[in-house]
Amino acid sequence: MSEQRVDVSSAKTQKDNVQNSKKEILRGLKDGLPVLLGVIPFALVLGAQATHKGLNPFEVPLMTGLNFAGGSEFAAIQIWTSPPRLLLIIAVTLLVNSRHILMGATLVPLLSRFPKRKILPALFFMTDESWALSYNDAYSKKNRTAPLFSMPYYMAVSLSFYTMWVFCTTLGALIGPVLGDLHQYGFDMAFPAVFLVLVRGMWSGLYKAIPWIISLAVSVAFCHFIPGLWYVIAGPVTGLGIAALLGGNDA
Amino acid sequence: MPEYKTLIAILLMAFTTYATRVTAYIMLRNRVLTPRAMAVLKSSPGCVMLAFIAPFFASGNPADLIALCLTSFVAIGFSMPVTVISGVLFAFIFRYYLS
Repeated sequence: MSEQRVDVSSAKTQKDNVQNSKKEILRGLKDGLPVLLGVIPFALVLGAQATHKGLNPFEVPLMTGLNFAGGSEFAAIQIWTSPPRLLLIIAVTLLVNSRHILMGATLVPLLSRFPKRKILPALFFMTDESWALSYNDAYSKKNRTAPLFSMPYYMAVSLSFYTMWVFCTTLGALIGPVLGDLHQYGFDMAFPAVFLVLVRGMWSGLYKAIPWIISLAVSVAFCHFIPGLWYVIAGPVTGLGIAALLGGNDA
Repeated sequence: MPEYKTLIAILLMAFTTYATRVTAYIMLRNRVLTPRAMAVLKSSPGCVMLAFIAPFFASGNPADLIALCLTSFVAIGFSMPVTVISGVLFAFIFRYYLS
């Protein structure tokens, strides 16, 4: 008798979980959609540039599917030669993607409730966008008691991005030469728009925002005066130094 | 078929990128962080996100700067889709008329 009851209730929780995951997946797809559409022109341009540098339409999805980090792919394509200079490509990839280390660090406390075997594959899909949306979602006001990271939400955003990225970069490789200049249509502005909204969501007073403002200022200065991609590192590192200084006084 | 040197380059890139994604998790997952480290972690998303958009501020293109300022104002009061659509429209309009 009691066994039966347990069965019934566990079946019910399971059903609830499935329904809940479904809701979380839909929520992820919905939140990801505006950013997803903004990514399309980037992907087409990358695919087109890659074929221009001598990659064939089979190698393009191989790169975008295995590496899956747009910024480093753009950077690598800029410096791509035939044959490719391996050390230079690794160095540039590491430089551009070192921000993932910071992003990953912010997820560590949120991921502690999941097993390692789930986290390691899930992290393969971490992008600027899926990280930013999921991080923001975990700390959003609806989770009143404690921050809660939703794995189905994160995976929905990530996998929709993955599919779109690999598909559209391949498409770009195939139809690249007929596209022309996509910059004039303004799609690239979707990118800063997304990050401005996300930063607004994290805003909790000017004092806490001092490291952010310094990070932005240093990044803009580096971008302006120092060629290359150093700004992605220089700004955040300076900002975090300031955060460490201020961190002791304010808790 | 991919040329083998291209294939090696792609595989090395993929490995490097995955390493950046899991490094923090592997190193930090069994540690207890100090309040100062937590403060640094808390402010790092904003620092990184604003660094991403630095090239738009540094472009020096008046059309981009105006579009970016207007988009920032929209971002203060409106939802994600509204802000994204406005940003794209602003960029399209100002680039069309100012260049």
